[in-house]
Amino acid sequence: MDQLKQQLKEMIVQDLNLPDVKPEDIDDKASLFEEGLGLDSLDAVELVVLLQKRFGVQIADMDEGKEAFASIEALAQFVQAHQGSSESTGTSVSAT
Amino acid sequence: MRYVVPGFQKAVLKKLEALGHGIFYLTLRIAGQPGAYALLVPVVLTYVSASRRIHQLTSPYLRKRFPKHNPVERWRDTFRIVHSFGQVLVDRAWLGLNRSARLHCSLDEWDTILGLIEQRKGLVLLTAHVGNWQVALAHLKDLPVPVHALMHYEEEVVAKHYFDLRGESCPFRIIKTDGFLGGVVEATAAIQRGEVVTIMGDRLAGGPSATVKFLDSQIRFPAGVYRLAAATGAPVAVLLAAKTGRQSYHLRVWDVFHPSYSSRKHREADLTAWTSRFSKALEAYVTQFPYQWYNFYDFWNQ
Repeated sequence: MDQLKQQLKEMIVQDLNLPDVKPEDIDDKASLFEEGLGLDSLDAVELVVLLQKRFGVQIADMDEGKEAFASIEALAQFVQAHQGSSESTGTSVSAT
Repeated sequence: MRYVVPGFQKAVLKKLEALGHGIFYLTLRIAGQPGAYALLVPVVLTYVSASRRIHQLTSPYLRKRFPKHNPVERWRDTFRIVHSFGQVLVDRAWLGLNRSARLHCSLDEWDTILGLIEQRKGLVLLTAHVGNWQVALAHLKDLPVPVHALMHYEEEVVAKHYFDLRGESCPFRIIKTDGFLGGVVEATAAIQRGEVVTIMGDRLAGGPSATVKFLDSQIRFPAGVYRLAAATGAPVAVLLAAKTGRQSYHLRVWDVFHPSYSSRKHREADLTAWTSRFSKALEAYVTQFPYQWYNFYDFWNQ
């Protein structure tokens, strides 16, 4: 799980282009949006696409989005729970 | 000393408005669409003559679209734009009251839309508050994949009302922009499934924007939709409907483009370029149909 969380943090910093944030700065329990990491709705679009490409996990609706984007910890749990339930189109990562 | 209670004044205006609607509905029942169109002329003439407010609301657009027009021509332009809007409202009411009523709609480049859908990359359909956007949306029921409309509350109410009046089921699923993260999670998922997401591309209601040229002046348009398309790899098609006759509309694909970032460094420039594509399509539309522009506010200050 720790490895997965690290991968998610690196993906967010690199692919969402957050030059002022380091992966280690992201709190596992802090919200990804608004007061937490401060991502916006359009970062969510890119995050949904990245999760599908990298982990083969699809976030289909608002309820799943709310659950998954609550924090890095929640996102890692979501990815771990849904990996394999949908077909991966990109690099598959095994959760530890 | 005369003393008018504002609440009383408001109530009287409300009653008068309801009476006006009632008269129009009665005319539609008795004399059909031609009768309501005939009634519309003196009503719009009176309104444009008596109301300063309507000139304030239409002048930002008319000044840009017809910069050389003198005050008399500007008055006539205001009449034409309000009259044209009135006809759209009459059409909506007529379709709602008379189930057998039909508007003929010609389609241009519909095969382009079908071809884009066949690519299974999803499709972003951009439309705008011009012509009769409900007519454009009504045709989406013929598409072979589910259609989702990203809408805020006011647009949702108008769209639902239109299809409720017709006794028809809404041809698209509404994704509310006031939901979690503005509905983008659902919109993204729909595109990933190869479905269609339609969005109004003209009015800015928060979110990212890009400043581009429109009718010779700089203006901010929403740009988030292009980020959605670029992230998902979906193409964008600009679909606008125009009223072309008493009972006819023309639905046309004005532009198609495929947003894809040239590099991480040039993202903002790419967003501006795609926004500009939409702005040019809209400009081409208002060049051809100058009186079917229904953004009655200072659009250049949005």
